[in-house]
Amino acid sequence: MPKTDINIDLSSEPRLLASVRGLIRTYLLNEGFDAERAGEIVLAVDEACTNAMRHSYGGNTEGRLRLTLRRNDSAIEFVLRDRGVPVPQEKCARKEIVAPDTEHLMPGGLGVQLMYSVFDEVKFRPGKTEGNRVVMRLKLPEKPG
Amino acid sequence: MAMELTKTDDGNGVCTIAVSGEIDLYSSPNLRTAITDSAPTASKTICINLGSVEYMDSSGVATLVEGLRAAMERKIEFVLVAPSPPVLKVLQLSRLDTVFTIRDKA
Repeated sequence: MPKTDINIDLSSEPRLLASVRGLIRTYLLNEGFDAERAGEIVLAVDEACTNAMRHSYGGNTEGRLRLTLRRNDSAIEFVLRDRGVPVPQEKCARKEIVAPDTEHLMPGGLGVQLMYSVFDEVKFRPGKTEGNRVVMRLKLPEKPG
Repeated sequence: MAMELTKTDDGNGVCTIAVSGEIDLYSSPNLRTAITDSAPTASKTICINLGSVEYMDSSGVATLVEGLRAAMERKIEFVLVAPSPPVLKVLQLSRLDTVFTIRDKA
C-alpha cells in the first residue's frame, strides 16, 4: 500500500499555486528525480490544481483543495480532491495533442492533456452531486538488485 | 519568483514585453493585459521576450495563443524571443512550438 508522504489542504486561491509547486519540486528533487522530470511532474500537478480552481470552483476562492502525495517502491501517486462542481467526463477525456494550424488555434483545454502526457495513469472521478477526485500515477523505475 | 513585466516601445511600431519569473493562473491575466495594451503602439510587431521565465503552464500558453490570434487578425507579427527551457518544454508538450515564430533575438 502506498504511504502518504504529504497532505496539503489549501484554498482555491491562484496565488498559492507557486507555493504548492515549490513544495512538490523540492520533494521530487530530494527523492532523486532529475530537474527536467521533476519540472514535468510539477507542471502536470499544477494543471490539475488550476483546473479545480477554474472549473470546479469557477474562480471562487472560497473553495478548498486537498492534494495528497503517496508513494511506495513502485509508484508515486498524487490525489487531488475538491468539493466544487463535478466536471463533465467529456472535458476530462484524453485526446491526442496534434499541432494545430494557425486557423484552428484555440486557447484552453490543454491542461488536461498535459496531465495525460506526463503521468502513466490519470483517473478523473467526478462526484454525483458534488466534488471531484483526480488520481495521477507515475511508475517508478525498478531499483537494480 | 513572481512574474515581472517590462515593456519597451522602439517608436517604430515594434513593442517588446520582457517577462521574468513564473507565468501561471495567478499571473497570466497581467501578461494578457500587457499584450492587449501594447496594441495601439505595436503597428508592426509584438515581441514577447521569454528568456527569464522560470515556469509557464497552460494558462500562459493560452495567453500567448490569444496574443498570436489577435496579432494575426491585425496582420502584425507576434514573436516569441529566446524562450527559456521551461517555456520550450510546455510549448513542445502542447505541440505548439511550430505554430509560433520563435527567434533567438528581437
